[in-house]
Amino acid sequence: MLSLSKLKEAWLCLKAGRVTLPYPARGRPAPARFRGRPVFDAAKCIGCAGCANNCPAREILVCDLCQEIRVLQYLGRRCTYCGRCADVCPEKAITLSLDFETATDRIGDLRQRLDLFMSTCQRCGRCFKETSWLDQLKLKGYRFDDVQNERWVLRSRACLESEPAVDDLKIDLDGP
Amino acid sequence: MTARERLGQLRTKFGSAIRRADVPGDHRLFVYVESCALKAVCRYLFLDLDARYVVSIGADDRPYSGGFLLAHDFAFDADHLLCSVLTHLPAENPKADSISGVVPAANWAEREIRDLVGIEPVGHPYPKRLVLPDGWPENAHPLRKDAPWNEVPAGFDPEREFQFDDPPEGCIVVPFGPFHPTLDEPAHFRLFIEGERVRGCEYRGFMVHRGIEKLAESVLTYNDIPMMAERICGICGCVHNVAYAQAVESAAGVTIPPRAEYIRTIMLEVERLHSHLLWVGLACHIVGFDTLFMQSWRIREPLMWAAEKISGNRKTYALCLIGGVRWEITPELALELRQVLDRLETEWRAVAAAVSLDKNLQKRTRGVGVAGPALVKSAGLIGPVARAAGVEIDCRRDHPYAAYDRVEFNVITADGCDVWSRVVVRMNEVFESVRIVRQCLEKMEPGPLQSPVAAELPVGRLGLSSVEAPRGESHHFVITGENNRPRRWRVRAPTYQNLQAVPAMIKDQQIADMTISLGSIDPCFSCTDRIETIDLKSGETRIWTQEELIRNLRP
Amino acid sequence: MNLPRILLGGLANLGLVMIVAPACEGLLRKVTALIQSRRGPPLRQAYFDLLKLLGKEDLESGQAPWVQRFAACLSPATALTVACLVPMGFPAPLNGVGDAILLIYLLTLSGIGTLLGGLAAGSTYSLVGISREMMTMIALEPLFAVTILAGAVHTGSLRVNQVLDGSVYATAGFPWSGLVLFGVILVSFQAFVQRAPFDIAEAETELMDGPLMEYSGPKLALFRYAQMMRLVVYSALFVGLFVPWGSGLAFPIGWLLFWAKVLGVVLLVTVVAATHARYRIDQAIRFFAGLLAAALGALLLASYGH
Repeated sequence: MLSLSKLKEAWLCLKAGRVTLPYPARGRPAPARFRGRPVFDAAKCIGCAGCANNCPAREILVCDLCQEIRVLQYLGRRCTYCGRCADVCPEKAITLSLDFETATDRIGDLRQRLDLFMSTCQRCGRCFKETSWLDQLKLKGYRFDDVQNERWVLRSRACLESEPAVDDLKIDLDGP
Repeated sequence: MTARERLGQLRTKFGSAIRRADVPGDHRLFVYVESCALKAVCRYLFLDLDARYVVSIGADDRPYSGGFLLAHDFAFDADHLLCSVLTHLPAENPKADSISGVVPAANWAEREIRDLVGIEPVGHPYPKRLVLPDGWPENAHPLRKDAPWNEVPAGFDPEREFQFDDPPEGCIVVPFGPFHPTLDEPAHFRLFIEGERVRGCEYRGFMVHRGIEKLAESVLTYNDIPMMAERICGICGCVHNVAYAQAVESAAGVTIPPRAEYIRTIMLEVERLHSHLLWVGLACHIVGFDTLFMQSWRIREPLMWAAEKISGNRKTYALCLIGGVRWEITPELALELRQVLDRLETEWRAVAAAVSLDKNLQKRTRGVGVAGPALVKSAGLIGPVARAAGVEIDCRRDHPYAAYDRVEFNVITADGCDVWSRVVVRMNEVFESVRIVRQCLEKMEPGPLQSPVAAELPVGRLGLSSVEAPRGESHHFVITGENNRPRRWRVRAPTYQNLQAVPAMIKDQQIADMTISLGSIDPCFSCTDRIETIDLKSGETRIWTQEELIRNLRP
Repeated sequence: MNLPRILLGGLANLGLVMIVAPACEGLLRKVTALIQSRRGPPLRQAYFDLLKLLGKEDLESGQAPWVQRFAACLSPATALTVACLVPMGFPAPLNGVGDAILLIYLLTLSGIGTLLGGLAAGSTYSLVGISREMMTMIALEPLFAVTILAGAVHTGSLRVNQVLDGSVYATAGFPWSGLVLFGVILVSFQAFVQRAPFDIAEAETELMDGPLMEYSGPKLALFRYAQMMRLVVYSALFVGLFVPWGSGLAFPIGWLLFWAKVLGVVLLVTVVAATHARYRIDQAIRFFAGLLAAALGALLLASYGH
């Protein structure tokens, strides 16, 4: 039964030695360009909502509390780590860290909230210049005369209302 | 023959039945015909001109042209031509002659159009529900523009059951799936067994239907969709990502920089390598040979690390945008990729040599799951399944895209038509892929990664793209639209065609060979089920109650 | 019929088999992992698995629960009884009570335990699994019976201690029949212990574990334990029949030598299992039919004194 081919195969295997690693007993760092959990830097963010507009999973929400205060929340539940938010951010305020061990049983752990004081161009009300026309179509700058319509950048509300599991996130849809 | 010459042939034969034709280049042809002539035109193309059937598409065009659109896509592989035959149907009670009698490969596509868009295929040999869940009400067609993407229609009945066919005389029913150790994704094959032999099979699938096409039309935008397209499949995601981007670029007339083309080619071939190595391991696992399974995956692992270094993730590369790619391959990464490939090639040669002498493995795979050239033609089979039957089709050579027209490679075929031939084809394609990546790395010139998209994309244009996935041809059909999103996007993954031939492949074979036959087409059910459904909570996937499971498992 | 001696010997054999069986399984998994370039589970893993299964809820699913319970108890019980009939470094405790014919029946009975288990579960896959198991048994048990008979023909006795002491080689001249039978059993040994390439009845990727599909918790623990014990017991039988040299040495050397030989057989089983794909049932049956013809030929030779 142990013919030549089997012996050859067995030799190939033994030559390779052991390749499995004792993870998670010993950690294994990810390579430099790895797309892990995004980290938002509040100091650099200008509140343009480009990330929110370009997130395919609609996991970044923007709400204007008043003319000068914009709240940006990264919910992180359905984030696919695609990195589009980091791509379009004009201020490079979003970096994709090397963190991939993000499992948790409390969904609020993934949330990042930025409270931003906004200042805009007094003439056009815009914050920055977009790169591609396709991205431009999705950017909505903050215009202080259009607060009613620009309340939520998120296009559809269905995915919020139908997910009561998000218990430690109080999203006030009809707030101030 | 160029596109214009083919159009000339059609015009000669059908004259006034052809209303309009668009020839955007030598390699694409869009012919609009009268709906009454549709079946005749398709028969002429399939039987007389020997075109290969690709897919049928239905679209709700009522807001734009007042009616429905029905398209049948064909491919002339030798002419490097992709052709689409379209017709407009009235908004009230749309129906067209079914072409499944002439083109058996269109069986599922027409049933899907019937389920999702509501165009009735008149004369279809097997008009049973295909995609929609059992409890979905009649006359609620999700892909129509007036159907919401996020609501269950009124009349959804969770208790309604699917009517299975009766087994033939003397056979017992053995359910294979939706839960089975070999299947990574749910699918239900109802096998009709006589003793140890399979006499027939009925398939009920589409259990991982996620509503991707509807989302693309309603909620996402052009640059969001590649991220979603990538998740159609866990193994060949990059293929869908690239194919979609290419379809839109072809429709809108966007050209991408050459470096981006080379990078797309490299990542596609890296994906092919990982997929084939994975598959060989899986095939061995199915026949109980776990050692070779472990070895294939061990050899594959450095490739996954290299992909992670280049794109940021082992598998979901998130590579394309409309107009280019996102990741640069630096000289250090190129060097590392070369080293990984050198090592992989050496080790794989040793494995391939050992496997080709292995009588034990060949005994389980020779003469099993046979699909000959006749079945390949009638069922429209593609990929290694077709190449293992001696049919030499490969989209990289027949419909060149990205940088494939600038690299040299062989199309690997075998003659056995069985599982063993498919193993041989896939093992040898690994070497060709390594060759292609090496050529790309040499020929790449420095340059930009993305073309600027200077204006809004034109509306209402059609784009076709065929990309050779590891499993076969993956074909995307796009109609560009308003609001920064397509009007219609149809994905035809290769498993969609190959699965239709499984009942023919396993007929009169032993039940033990069922899994390896199914495994030999390298099924990717996630690729196959990707059209619309509804809300996440109820009805999207059928939850099998314990008593249903018990009832289905007992003879 | 020394009762205390029987009891003591029985306990020793039982205890030894019960303790060593999961360790052999652990060794098998570790060596398989080594061949597959993996780390593999620790050697103690089989013990943990059994404990875990025993601690689970005992679900009653299947057509005939009381038959399932009976089958789950029958399997390890027969394996343990056979353990008392096999000399493991010292004469078998039940030597006077039963002979080699009883041994053959008990081995068949353990196969029947699995069959009953699958039948009682009644699901489609377990029925297909037991039909394969039945076909394999019909093809395999005669091989073993023929070997015992050849031994009996040579030594003229059916007593277990004599038969399982290299009796097949006990000819006046060169033991041709013994060698043929050695080859036959060696080549089919994987089927006796239900490992690749002959683990057909329980093909995980084809039949979802066949007869054992409907079992979980304590009943599955008993079946798995029976499987592990069968590996040890069959290896002991193999050693007794075909590799008896050194068994006459004084305790403890003879005893240690015996267990070393059993370990060697287990390693051989492991290596063959790790390097082979599973055969189909019809291919396997054809193979065994060929072996049976060879075995009968050897029996013929034995009856002529070769």
